Amino acid sequence: MSVSSYTERPGAKAGESDGLSVPWSRPRPKRAGVSARLVSALTILALLAAWTVSAELRLVSPVFLPSPAAVWAKLVVVARDGFVDATLFQHIAASLGRVFAALIVAIVVGVPVGLAIGISKIGRGVFDPLLEFLRPIPPLAYLPLIVIWFGIGEPSKILVIAIAMLAPVALSTAAGVRGVSRERIDAARSLGATRGQVVRHVVLPSALPSILTGLRIALGAGWSTLVAAELVAATRGLGFMIQSAAQFLVTDVVVMGILVIAIIAFALEFIIRRIERALVPWAGRE
Amino acid sequence: MPHLTLDKVTVHYDGQPAAAVERVSLDIGKGDFVVLVGRSGCGKTSLLNVAAGLVKPARGQAMIGGRPITAPGPDRAVVFQNDALFPWLTARENVAFALRLRGVPARERARRADQLLKLVKLDNAGDKRIWELSGGMRQRVGLARALAAEPDFLLLDEPLGALDALTRERMQTTLLDLWAAAQVGVLMVTHGIEEALVLATRIVVLAPGPGHVVRTFETHFGRRYAAGEPIRAIKADPAFAAARADLTDAIFEGEAA
Repeated sequence: MSVSSYTERPGAKAGESDGLSVPWSRPRPKRAGVSARLVSALTILALLAAWTVSAELRLVSPVFLPSPAAVWAKLVVVARDGFVDATLFQHIAASLGRVFAALIVAIVVGVPVGLAIGISKIGRGVFDPLLEFLRPIPPLAYLPLIVIWFGIGEPSKILVIAIAMLAPVALSTAAGVRGVSRERIDAARSLGATRGQVVRHVVLPSALPSILTGLRIALGAGWSTLVAAELVAATRGLGFMIQSAAQFLVTDVVVMGILVIAIIAFALEFIIRRIERALVPWAGRE
Repeated sequence: MPHLTLDKVTVHYDGQPAAAVERVSLDIGKGDFVVLVGRSGCGKTSLLNVAAGLVKPARGQAMIGGRPITAPGPDRAVVFQNDALFPWLTARENVAFALRLRGVPARERARRADQLLKLVKLDNAGDKRIWELSGGMRQRVGLARALAAEPDFLLLDEPLGALDALTRERMQTTLLDLWAAAQVGVLMVTHGIEEALVLATRIVVLAPGPGHVVRTFETHFGRRYAAGEPIRAIKADPAFAAARADLTDAIFEGEAA
């Protein structure tokens, strides 16, 4: 008996017709014409064109809206010569360093908390209300308290970002843990796994796709609190750069900084999706 | 030689008005292949879970080798309908899971897992990921994984239920081969009447409301296959058709009540 015989075809991949599909499930031929991606590209081009035209015609003063060319020129200048005593690269490095330090804090605290919520009623009783309390508070609201408690140094900035990341990490972990199939756990127990082994070898790997989704959401949330975190006594960082520029009414640096923050957020999202695909290739295929 | 026994077991789930199973006794020795059949709601899976140690009986006792069953253990490995494999591991690592729990060195684990994969006729699938395997192949991995725990008993909860008819038919002979090779006692739950006849040495017919034993059949078709008779010839035997009719009657006997 051979396993490659016709009775044991490996599961047909989605989108492939295997000749057994019922007629009404046959994939329809792709409709020719517009694609969403093309529309998106055109939208962005149209916005850029409108921006260029309004700047060229001086519809708005350059103090309020510098031209795209001016913003690009500023980007080159700041990248080379710097702005407020640091180059663009150094600002980016400072901000990314804070966000990743905060991410590590959020993982170290959030994953065990999520695990506790997911596997124990006591853990859920203790941590669920705390997280629900913490989650909706805007970072600018708790920033003053953190400065009073921890001073104006680097730890405070990291903590502000980490707090914003904590809830997504912990709640995604908890959801992943609660979603582990009963049969998978029972199978492991019947193979001789202790409670600790079940958590380590079954629950955590099963929850990994959900944990990674949590990290992706957390990075987004942390990155968006960056400006708040760099409000107090920062000397470097994208948020600090934008605030300094705003004080001197250097609008082209403000716009450039916003665009850089957006582009980096986009890149982070892209990278972590790649990591997800590499680490949990089974997600969505079970 | 330990026996797996259920002694007048009653299962009553919390919050349910009636018992799921009432006063059912079973005795499974090594080399027995006991199949539980019956309509939905007759408590087949509840009984299997009691034997596994996943469900505690409200009354009565489940014992293995004279000792009460209080928790799941590798002496009674369970295979579920949905294979319950670990998708982050390869087929070989899935099979080796029980050995890893015991701290068996990696090389020895891999060697043993490859032996078992060969036994279930998946010689070349060791490095495959679970999602690359068909339903039948996944169930084979599940069986090999259960055997790796070196159990005295295999508890099979509709292991072929999710497979297509052709795959199911060939998995039946695989099960018989494994049963003969591994020298284990088997307790299996199924909906398939023919499946029960092909595999069992004893068929226990249950009826619902609450689950109880209606009849017990001793059968010999599985042993005939193990002795070398082709499965097609066994199924074509008029005795097989007669047994099939008897069993069907027994299952629907409780229907009128």
